[in-house]
Amino acid sequence: MPSLSDKAWSPYVAGVIIGLLQIPTFLLMDTALGASSSFVTVGAHLAALVDPGVGQIKYFTSHMAGAKNWWQVAVVVGIAVGAFLSMQLSGARRAAVSGIWARATGATSLGTRAPVAFLAGFLMLLGARIAGGCTSGHGISGMAQLSVGSTVAVVAMFAGGMLVANLFFKRV
Amino acid sequence: MTVLTGILIGLATGIVFGFVLEKSRVFEPGIIVGQMQLRSFIMLKVFLAAVITGLLALAVMHGAFGVKLSLKPLVWQADIIGGLVLGAGIALAGACPGTSLAQIGAGYRDAWFVVLGGIAGAVFYGYFDASITAYFAEKGAKVTFAELAGYPFWMVSTGLAVVLAGALVVLERMVPWRHEVGANVDGVLPADATPDHEPTPGATRRA
Repeated sequence: MPSLSDKAWSPYVAGVIIGLLQIPTFLLMDTALGASSSFVTVGAHLAALVDPGVGQIKYFTSHMAGAKNWWQVAVVVGIAVGAFLSMQLSGARRAAVSGIWARATGATSLGTRAPVAFLAGFLMLLGARIAGGCTSGHGISGMAQLSVGSTVAVVAMFAGGMLVANLFFKRV
Repeated sequence: MTVLTGILIGLATGIVFGFVLEKSRVFEPGIIVGQMQLRSFIMLKVFLAAVITGLLALAVMHGAFGVKLSLKPLVWQADIIGGLVLGAGIALAGACPGTSLAQIGAGYRDAWFVVLGGIAGAVFYGYFDASITAYFAEKGAKVTFAELAGYPFWMVSTGLAVVLAGALVVLERMVPWRHEVGANVDGVLPADATPDHEPTPGATRRA
């Protein structure tokens, strides 16, 4: 049996638990699991502090209020809390930067990683908002609903990831 | 529903989500970049196990009890171009939007910059949403493979779940997950050892 203090669980146990989270999400929230639109909710509120014009843009206003938008912000905050708890219970503490970056790109410090990480996050959310979802919304949720559009997006996502990881990174 | 109720449900959901993301190691940059280089398959294993479970849950919820689906429209150009850009970002970040938060929880400092960049990217998109969607000019229908095939949802979703589960059984035989997590459970494997060059089970037993 997996224990809460284990450092690693079977990917199948974890995947089944993630899949089961769809049940309360559909029944209580009338939606599917997702992560990327929460970045719009938070970003729109931050942008509104400096730009009063945000209130005139429908894409922003549709993400700024209501239980569903704040539910998703709470989900991603909860993800950080859950990962923190799991790490505390197992003692699998992490360095500032994963050792994989030294191999893949030669980046060994936070200073060399940070600009790439910022650009990566920017591209990730720009792409996710163009496509209308990410690994959670299009991937885990869209494919579980047999969505044709989500399957197209997931294939493109893995294609984009494989291209960059093989063209620009050394073999990890 | 009040915003507070939504937040409480979201926190409970997210804590379980983040806990198992950490336990499965799928949030590790080493696992995500390893998947994109086909050196590790833990990301695919977690992903497909979650999809299979969701397919079966929805076969019951939607198929038997009529719970409404929450589909995204099929918009070819936006799905393909957005998906490619998203994938490029995932490889560079060694994270997806959800797992970047798990990385923060587990202690990776660069993930804070991924999240900040993500907020900037989401705001940038927001300002150009009207022009981008006008440029693509796609109407987009919410369509499922079950509708395309002309069979009931529960039948297609259960069938796909069985096929994907079979694929996972084969994949796990070829590349056992315990060989993929690495000594420090971060997906960083000895430089010369890909998972398919692990010692045979017999050799492991002798050691």
